Amino acid sequence: MEISNATVELMQDQNVIADTSQIPDEDICIDVNDVSVMFNLSKNREDGLKEYFINMVKGKVAFNEFWALRNINFKVRRGDAVALIGRNGSGKSTLLKTIAGIIKPVRGTVTVKGTIAPLIELSGGFDRSLSARENIYLSGAMHGHTNRYMKKRFDEIIEFAELEKFVDVPVKNFSSGMVSRLGFAVATCVNADIIIADEVLAVGDAKFRKKCEERISSMLKGGTTILFVSHNVNQVKKVCRNAVWLEKGRIIDSGTAEEICDKYNDALKGTKRKLIKNS
Amino acid sequence: MFKKSVNEFMNYIPFLKEIVKRDFKKKYYKSVLGVAWSMLSPLLMMVVMSILFSTVFKRSIPYYPVYWFSGNLFFTFVTQGSHMAMNSMITNSSLIKKMKIPNYFFCISKVTLELVMSLFSLIPYFIVGFILKVPFNFNALLFFVPIFYTYIFTIGLGMFLCAYATFLRDLEYLYSVVRRMWMYITPIFYPIDIVPTQFRFLWELNPIYVYLSIFRDMTINGVMPSERSLIIATCYSIITLVLGIVTFKEKEERFFLYI
Repeated sequence: MEISNATVELMQDQNVIADTSQIPDEDICIDVNDVSVMFNLSKNREDGLKEYFINMVKGKVAFNEFWALRNINFKVRRGDAVALIGRNGSGKSTLLKTIAGIIKPVRGTVTVKGTIAPLIELSGGFDRSLSARENIYLSGAMHGHTNRYMKKRFDEIIEFAELEKFVDVPVKNFSSGMVSRLGFAVATCVNADIIIADEVLAVGDAKFRKKCEERISSMLKGGTTILFVSHNVNQVKKVCRNAVWLEKGRIIDSGTAEEICDKYNDALKGTKRKLIKNS
Repeated sequence: MFKKSVNEFMNYIPFLKEIVKRDFKKKYYKSVLGVAWSMLSPLLMMVVMSILFSTVFKRSIPYYPVYWFSGNLFFTFVTQGSHMAMNSMITNSSLIKKMKIPNYFFCISKVTLELVMSLFSLIPYFIVGFILKVPFNFNALLFFVPIFYTYIFTIGLGMFLCAYATFLRDLEYLYSVVRRMWMYITPIFYPIDIVPTQFRFLWELNPIYVYLSIFRDMTINGVMPSERSLIIATCYSIITLVLGIVTFKEKEERFFLYI
């Protein structure tokens, strides 16, 4: 049963490739080729020597394998904005981390042309006991930028984040909105070819969110590629041209954002209705 | 392949600077004396050890306080540095999970932090030497050579330990026992003369002793260390570094499952 399921998925995946095969090679900036990622969901972690040897004697360490991604295939054109949609736990964040190079796939390859600014989490990379100023230099350095380069961008970042009064205050005293504003400003002010954004527009008040959307659309005009995860279907339609729908670590469907979002919404409503009927 | 690794390394040098700066700031966060502690604590210990042992080893060690200070400096550098590097994947897990930074940089940063600390405690070391009127010699200006050897050695050792300790947390406790044993087989507070001659080759297997004796030759005895000891020191550093890199690279891919 499991095998036949997998073959069906594979056939679907091939359809997905067929959709994008017309893109000339030099235009592709992200190529995810047959990627699978596995996690060990071991109930008792092999942290201790004793457990390790007991498990060794028992006959190999008993791992509960969990495939977060299975045979993922897709290509992203340069300058495109692609959304990944799907329910919680469908593998969106894992896929983003794999593309960012943080997780290595068990099988398959990811080819990325250009520099990536990963925005896996807005406060990611901030040290809470350091001030905003120090954190800007630190996270700039994490993206591989020199101090001199960050100095030039410093004022622009502070201005965008609207934190002029709090430059030398430790980040731990910031409100969560302030932290995310700073995170967004730092990640988007550096000129990366590809931006990976995981639910980053869900934060801040309406005014700041609008500012972020404007920044993203101006980056798109400048030729930046954006990979976007959001649960807000309207936002996806607004920002992205194309979308990929993930479910249980597999690609269910891909196509234009409008079409996929509508399908996804219908499916969600369907499951809701089912739940109501069952109860 | 090699060229790519070097490029990657150069790319993240600013990051190394920033993260060492961060760790340094956090180490003395909110303490009144701050970095002065890295100079004060060995000085206080030196006073105690000198009162205890300087009469016992009067004949074989002329400048006991300086002798002990140098031993302590090298021993702390290697053991603290490797210990922090060993845990660096666990202590930096939040960064490793979110940012794409070559993992080994966290090992290097911890050892570099310890290098900075050691350089700070070199200041009181030379001051004490000056007060005790240790004869000055131009060889003493080469003091950075054994420190550089120790730096390379500690990075290699730290990476090697880190590769295993990330999977097996017990190593942390085991290593604290090993460190204590290591302290006694390193001539920090006793002269090498008290070791029977037929066993002395065993002491040469201890890299800390090799680096330490080069350093003491240069700064206390005022002589050029023997070529043999320099060759041994170079071998220890390079072999450990290569071993560390190879082990680390092999295990690295599975780190994120364990942190």
